[in-house]
Amino acid sequence: MTNKSKILIVDDDADTVELLTKRLRAEGYYTSEAYDGEQALRQVGEYQPDLIILDIKMPKIDGYEVCRRLKGSEDTKLIPIIMLTVKRKIPDKVKGLDVGADDYMPKPFDHRELSHRVRYWTAVKMEVEERVREIKRLEQELIKSERLAAIGQTVASLAHYIKNILFGLKGGVYLVNVASKENETDSLKTGREMIERNIGRISDLVLDLLEYSRERELEYENCFPNEIADEVCGLMEARAKEYGVEIIKDFDPSMREVLLDPRGIHRCLLNLVSNAIDACLFDSNKEKKWVVQVRTILQNDGTVRFEVSDNGCGMDEEVKKKLFTNFFSTKEGRGTGLGLLITQKVVQEHGGTITVDSQPGKGSTFTIRLPCTDVSTPGAMAKESHES
Amino acid sequence: MKRVLIVDDDIDVTTLVSKLVERAGYEAVVAKNGVQGMGKVREGKPDLIILDILMPKQSGVRMYRELKTDEPLKDIPVIMLSAIAPKSFFRSQKVLDEFAGQSVPEPEAYIEKPEEPEELVELMKRILG
Repeated sequence: MTNKSKILIVDDDADTVELLTKRLRAEGYYTSEAYDGEQALRQVGEYQPDLIILDIKMPKIDGYEVCRRLKGSEDTKLIPIIMLTVKRKIPDKVKGLDVGADDYMPKPFDHRELSHRVRYWTAVKMEVEERVREIKRLEQELIKSERLAAIGQTVASLAHYIKNILFGLKGGVYLVNVASKENETDSLKTGREMIERNIGRISDLVLDLLEYSRERELEYENCFPNEIADEVCGLMEARAKEYGVEIIKDFDPSMREVLLDPRGIHRCLLNLVSNAIDACLFDSNKEKKWVVQVRTILQNDGTVRFEVSDNGCGMDEEVKKKLFTNFFSTKEGRGTGLGLLITQKVVQEHGGTITVDSQPGKGSTFTIRLPCTDVSTPGAMAKESHES
Repeated sequence: MKRVLIVDDDIDVTTLVSKLVERAGYEAVVAKNGVQGMGKVREGKPDLIILDILMPKQSGVRMYRELKTDEPLKDIPVIMLSAIAPKSFFRSQKVLDEFAGQSVPEPEAYIEKPEEPEELVELMKRILG
């Protein structure tokens, strides 16, 4: 016998234990023993038996209770239990089966009957283990195939995006060729612009992909949220002006110094403000006076809130639903569709949330909420460390 | 002069295809999405539509079905021009046919981006004569 099963014998009667031990070892099984319920429960954990032969009447915890506990636990419920009943009493058998015993055997027992039942139940245990292994293997496979499907989808979207860039490059080259053959300066200019624009698209894509895929650890630093917001507004000022968009700053004066990753948050706000300006550009109502508002708010519960709103083109439900998906962009070929995804990733890594509120034709508001540790009042920190 | 409507959200596509259309001696009209596209179609029936599939607002799939189920518009020839593989497009059409319980005819031609500009010009000339 190669796969020897381990049997735990539980009985407060030492003679019964000895007899069973001899018999079962003679048949090639490993055995261990316990003389009361408490010891039995301990032994199950240590010995990890494949089968338990369990007496009912024992001091401290009786056999029924041992059985109930073992069958009620995820770790041990699959170990078969044969109950030993002293008399051939029907109520004993029924109660034994009620608490989850798999079989019962009357005492004194017949050797052939014992041998038969033990063989049967150890075989069942092996079969069950095999099934459990199989289920676990299938689960692993499912997780793996789901991950592959996700990768496949990303690759497909990426391929689609690159095909569009290739189209632009091919078209640009075609126009340049036509222009040089027929001396057409107009086509030459359009073609060259197309090539340049698509080279730009490739570099944007590569940068965004790197940013998105990089396992970047957040670098927490003490910083002032208002300063980050101010810096971003400063960076975007020139572009906003060029397109006739006004940036309004509305920073909470009670904002304090907090702990967060300033570069990550800088990137998020830059994405949002740049999107907000684009939303104004794509607005068909050219009469409007376009405004992008950047707000910071320190909430009572210590949450730092950033709001970037615009009165540009807004979004319908369909666009809103796709906002945080790979490579989705409404910017007529100018966006990679990764900006908001990167923003979401950074915000979530901070344990925060990003939400959007938008109405077509009226504008959008993106809100970032970050749970922040206040570092400006030493009292707060001291209290925290005292508590822990 | 025959009129060609180009519906695509990608500015490169509309720039290049307009150029091709004009060089072939036709008039080019541009729309950025399905909603705008249907608007242009109703303003004045074009002789040919070149239609992208993935666009914000209304997709090309929807616009195509709208065109092909509209009695006065369903005879306008349509060239699908998309980076989506034709296999995927035709499969989605079949599913939609079954779902809607009505079958819609296939487009005049299906071109997968990035295509050769000459190919599109040849095709346009063949359809418009």
